[in-house]
Amino acid sequence: MKIVAAKKILKANDQLAAENRALLDAAGVFGVNVVGSPGAGKTTLLEALFAQLKGRLKPAVIEGDIAGSIDAERIERIGVPVVQINTEGACHLDANMIASALKELDLAAIDVLVIENVGNLVCTAGYDLGERLRIVVLSTSEGDDKAHKYPAIFQGAHAMLITKTDLLPHTDFDVERIAADYKRLAPEGEVFQVSAVHGDGVAEAADWLADKCRQSK
Amino acid sequence: MHELSIVEALIDQVKETLVQEGEKGRVLKLELSIGRLSGVNCDSVRFAFGLLAPGTVAEGAEIVFQQPKAACNCRACNVLTEIDDLVIQCPNCGSGDVSIEGGRELLLQSIDVED
Repeated sequence: MKIVAAKKILKANDQLAAENRALLDAAGVFGVNVVGSPGAGKTTLLEALFAQLKGRLKPAVIEGDIAGSIDAERIERIGVPVVQINTEGACHLDANMIASALKELDLAAIDVLVIENVGNLVCTAGYDLGERLRIVVLSTSEGDDKAHKYPAIFQGAHAMLITKTDLLPHTDFDVERIAADYKRLAPEGEVFQVSAVHGDGVAEAADWLADKCRQSK
Repeated sequence: MHELSIVEALIDQVKETLVQEGEKGRVLKLELSIGRLSGVNCDSVRFAFGLLAPGTVAEGAEIVFQQPKAACNCRACNVLTEIDDLVIQCPNCGSGDVSIEGGRELLLQSIDVED
């Protein structure tokens, strides 16, 4: 006997993601999923953005890492509430992990929740976490061909933040090339160029995030 | 990419469907639809299934894949091209003014159960 199922294999994840989104919406919290390679500068970028947004937004962070809590400790040090998820080998966060982490946070006390995904340009693309915004972080030292090689992660991302622009003079990274490739995959997407250590471009990216957060209310 | 967790979710879906249908027979075959742009590798799914299925209701089932293609719809030359990989330019005219349709399916289509 043949049973016709026609079910999404990741249906359970999608359902949990929808529940996370509803929970965050009801609490007036704007969810942001930050993806990028290991070493792209995601945590450093968050530190710079939060410093810039001080007094404007009340953030919290969910840190996804395969092991350890180095990133969560950095976020804690700047006074932002943080929950560490250790995936114990898994290459991505899923909606179930986020659902558990949300229970650890006081949602009434925050207005933006940044989820720093596991450093990975492949697997993180497949899992909806319940966010409203997905941001891809790409550093100049990774090369300008990444949208060609890992298109799925760039497709539909709301913004691409190019980090480590202070290293541009030392690389052959072509900002225009990657921006054009990204725009083909995400025509509505925004491109920001940031040097988190020198502070260049941080204000623009922070203003955009604050605007998006405000528009969602 | 992350075929182990996908196969875990698949086996859960099979269990759930059998319970819903009140089926207790042995699972003979699973038909999956894995789009060409889903980022999921069929060989890895088969490998992961071999690791995870034993001891579950899906143990010993044959897996059959459908692999729906995607299409690149070009607004510049109006040509619709079937594609296997995600492209950012029209394979026909090279324009970047394209939209990509389909190919991201990740579905459990059907379950064959022993009568």
